[in-house]
Amino acid sequence: MLPFLLRTVRKKLWTLFFVSVISFGVVYLAPGQPSQIDPLNPRFTPQQLERYRKAFGLDQPLHVQYVRFYTQFFTGELRSFKDNQPVLGKIIERTLNSLPLFVVGTILVWCYAFPIGIATAVKRNTTFDRCTTVLVFALISIPGFYLAYLAIIFVVETFQVDVIGLRTFGREGVSPPFAVMDRIWHLVLPSVLGATAGIAVLSRYVRSQMLEVISADYVRTARSKGVDEDRVLYHHALRNGLLPFVTMLGLLIPGLIGGSVIFETIFAWPGIGRLGYEAILSRDYPVVIALNFIAAVLTLIGTLLSDLLYMVVDPRIRL
Amino acid sequence: MSAKTVLILAPTLVSVVLVQSYFWVPTFEDQARGDPARLTRYIESSIGDASILNPTLSADSASSEINSLVFDGLIDRDMDLSFRGRLAASWRLFEEVYLLVDETQRFPDGAPVTGPELLRRLERARLGGHPSLRLVERLEIEPARTIVEQIEEEPAAKGAPAKKREVTLHRPPRLKFTLQEVDQDFFSSIDRLLGGYVGSIDPRRWLGPELADRLKERAAELLPPTEHNPVVVFQLRKGVRFHDGHEFDSGDVKFTYETILDPRNLSPRVPDFEPVKSVETPDRYTVRITYKRLFQPGFESWGMGILPEHLLNREAIRAEARDLGRDPERFSIRDSRFNRNPVGTGPFRFVEWKTDQYIRLARNEGYWEGPPNFREVLYRIIPDPLTIELTFYAGTTDEYAAQPHQVERLRKDPRFVHFSGLALGYTYIGYNMRRPPFQDVRVRQALGMAINTQEIIEYVLYGQAERITGPYPKQTDFYDQAVQPLPYDPAGAQRLLEEAGYKKNAEGWLEKGGRPLAFTLITNSGNETRKAVMAIAQNAWRRLGVKVETLAVEWAVFINERVNKGDFDALVLGWSMGLDADIYQIFHSSQTGPFQLNFVGYRNPKADELMVRIRQEYAHPRQVAMARELHRIIAEDQPYTFLYVGKWTALFDRKITRMVRGPDGKPRYAQIVPTKLGSPKFHFTQWIKVPRPLVGPVQAVR
Repeated sequence: MLPFLLRTVRKKLWTLFFVSVISFGVVYLAPGQPSQIDPLNPRFTPQQLERYRKAFGLDQPLHVQYVRFYTQFFTGELRSFKDNQPVLGKIIERTLNSLPLFVVGTILVWCYAFPIGIATAVKRNTTFDRCTTVLVFALISIPGFYLAYLAIIFVVETFQVDVIGLRTFGREGVSPPFAVMDRIWHLVLPSVLGATAGIAVLSRYVRSQMLEVISADYVRTARSKGVDEDRVLYHHALRNGLLPFVTMLGLLIPGLIGGSVIFETIFAWPGIGRLGYEAILSRDYPVVIALNFIAAVLTLIGTLLSDLLYMVVDPRIRL
Repeated sequence: MSAKTVLILAPTLVSVVLVQSYFWVPTFEDQARGDPARLTRYIESSIGDASILNPTLSADSASSEINSLVFDGLIDRDMDLSFRGRLAASWRLFEEVYLLVDETQRFPDGAPVTGPELLRRLERARLGGHPSLRLVERLEIEPARTIVEQIEEEPAAKGAPAKKREVTLHRPPRLKFTLQEVDQDFFSSIDRLLGGYVGSIDPRRWLGPELADRLKERAAELLPPTEHNPVVVFQLRKGVRFHDGHEFDSGDVKFTYETILDPRNLSPRVPDFEPVKSVETPDRYTVRITYKRLFQPGFESWGMGILPEHLLNREAIRAEARDLGRDPERFSIRDSRFNRNPVGTGPFRFVEWKTDQYIRLARNEGYWEGPPNFREVLYRIIPDPLTIELTFYAGTTDEYAAQPHQVERLRKDPRFVHFSGLALGYTYIGYNMRRPPFQDVRVRQALGMAINTQEIIEYVLYGQAERITGPYPKQTDFYDQAVQPLPYDPAGAQRLLEEAGYKKNAEGWLEKGGRPLAFTLITNSGNETRKAVMAIAQNAWRRLGVKVETLAVEWAVFINERVNKGDFDALVLGWSMGLDADIYQIFHSSQTGPFQLNFVGYRNPKADELMVRIRQEYAHPRQVAMARELHRIIAEDQPYTFLYVGKWTALFDRKITRMVRGPDGKPRYAQIVPTKLGSPKFHFTQWIKVPRPLVGPVQAVR
């Protein structure tokens, strides 16, 4: 167990190093300049451009910039080009904002997908199954932003209430229950919309996994012993069908960073996905590279976790 | 509890909690009626966040908008766009001009030139009422002086960095004239009086042989025979206080100027203040600004927000660096916490800034013009335009800029008031006049005549634009309304091209001397309107028989690789303009190099002369006359096909109105009146929201 762990961690550190180099290099290959340099500002001369580049260290050779960048990153001194704030602090604050969306969304996805998937598997080829399939594929194929716009327009035009952002903006000094409920209300649309596609996709996986195990011998044995049907499905069958989902569980973690750029942008949700998106648009290199790097770290942690979980779930892998 | 129950119950419970929260949330009307505090809060939404709340350093529109509420400038523009004092109570603009005394010359009557003699003759002419000297208030001799200047050495090898060197110069005595107002033609008129004396001064005489030889033409930069130094003296308003209680005075103005020029601060506003020679503060409430040369557009830059010296001076910045454990030598105002916690003298003081969420301002109770009616201004950041629109309908944004296609519908909505105006700027097709076939004015005219601009305005912009014929914003005095736009006339265009020597070949394409009339039209990707214009132009030109390809290029590549290097045939682009008459950088022939803004390579000596004279002219009527002439010349030359200027429409909740308290303290409500530019927010400090819209249309007529 321990040697395996050490081996994987070492491999992953190497991967991480290459990711750090690539994510640094790729960003610098892109054309363009940092945000505050506006090439079409009539009163902006090339000499000034040069001064900007010097001040931000953009005129030094790439490897120097690389070392400088990661040193600053790890010491927490790295600052955004855009607002001169420490990058690490920004990332932490935004992650905390994204967390409620992520948690509610994940609960909805992972809890609804299993019953739906199992039900469609059990009742396969019935009208219920067909209807669900059509609905599910419709949800998968309609772009999320389109659904989001429809939902926002519908809710705002019909109920004339605010749905954008963390809370009803400009309403302050209300009593705590109202304030809390207001925040919860603002979670509804983004989290539900964010979850629909997830439920749709995951329930299809569950369905196909269940179809495989549902005809297995031990399921028939359990049924013939007279075990309650729900227990057969959720206890005997599902356990054996769970294995692939362990991998997906691991990959959930990096989803925290890139998961919902679209919804966070549409709903003006100050989350981590939007931070990255806006950093790219304004060519805020420190934030872009830092997020790339953190995403890589999270992915590696996620795969490490799912490797470990595999060993817990499936004793054969331990061998 | 079985797994199934948990899997179904958990998300259902979550969903119930989510959905019931609806009953706790206020609607559009509830927000105004149920919450009196909401009526004193103004919420504005923007797609982009501010970046730096320091008027000397900011370069983006969101930051500028906040800065304009937190900081005051010395001056700003009035309802009719003329200048008005803010922190400056009044000002006087005059000029000091200098003339070198060249003792080697002789007057036409043979007498040798000396300082006193020159002075005597000019004084006599002035007392005799000579018209050239009517503006002269005072005449005196400035003694000879030794000055130290920095010069750039010619680089030894090509590409080597230019070295700087200090040289010591002996400047001969000069005559100093103080003029009541700025007169750019002063020297040419006294030159006639002095019989050609001014024109024959050779500054190389005082440089010494070695330096004179090396500098050649640039000698006049070191020792100019004549020098114009416009001077502005501002009298500051007394008793104005910064938000922290510290009194504003002339030191703050000088400090703001020095902050911009300090190279460590990397201010993007350096070019606006580069022509300033000195800023002096004779007393606490007087600032005297002397310019190096005639540069009329420089006056407007004093509208920039004034920084508090006591919070940002050298000691304060050093203390902050030590506080943060940073190197005080490398720490500059750009790194200071001030940029996220600004302190100014403006109508609103800064409270908090949540990056990418909102910026909160509270009213300045001690504002010198009286406190604003709104207690708070919230500047919300919503990255998606459609979402901004919906927050406006939901009542959590008080202002919305309608998209062209929505204007007709939203104007009729009884919940809102609307204001419209023309944008400052325009969209055009520019032709690279260094390349064939665009050197020929007939080709440029023909291409312009082939495009149905009216159709673009009607169908692409839903009628929310107007035609434009020249280089100035349409609502300024500089724009000559009499210039007629190019007619839409494909047949006429065909004739013009034939005149220019283009004939149709067997395949129906135009060609001249066996070479087809073919080029590529480009624009930046991401701007759908420009792309549509590009497609319409391509279609129109192809029908003439011109082989046009089109290409949309990513912004950074478009600017850096194509525009800045002059590597294009024709392009669709737009300018956003200021309110001054200076278009030197866009159309002067000296500005055609790489990275300069006359990237189409327009050259016209007559236009060049006008552009130089316009930026040196301080009298508005004369400036207007010259600008209109320039407009006519450029419209004639068609370096661009000038297309249209967009119209904006701003919507506000109808519950917002203007309120002034009379002497008895009772509120009187008034209409919101837009400025000459159409902007309704001129009286923003008098705005307030009322629980119900006032009876009758409160909407302004203009």
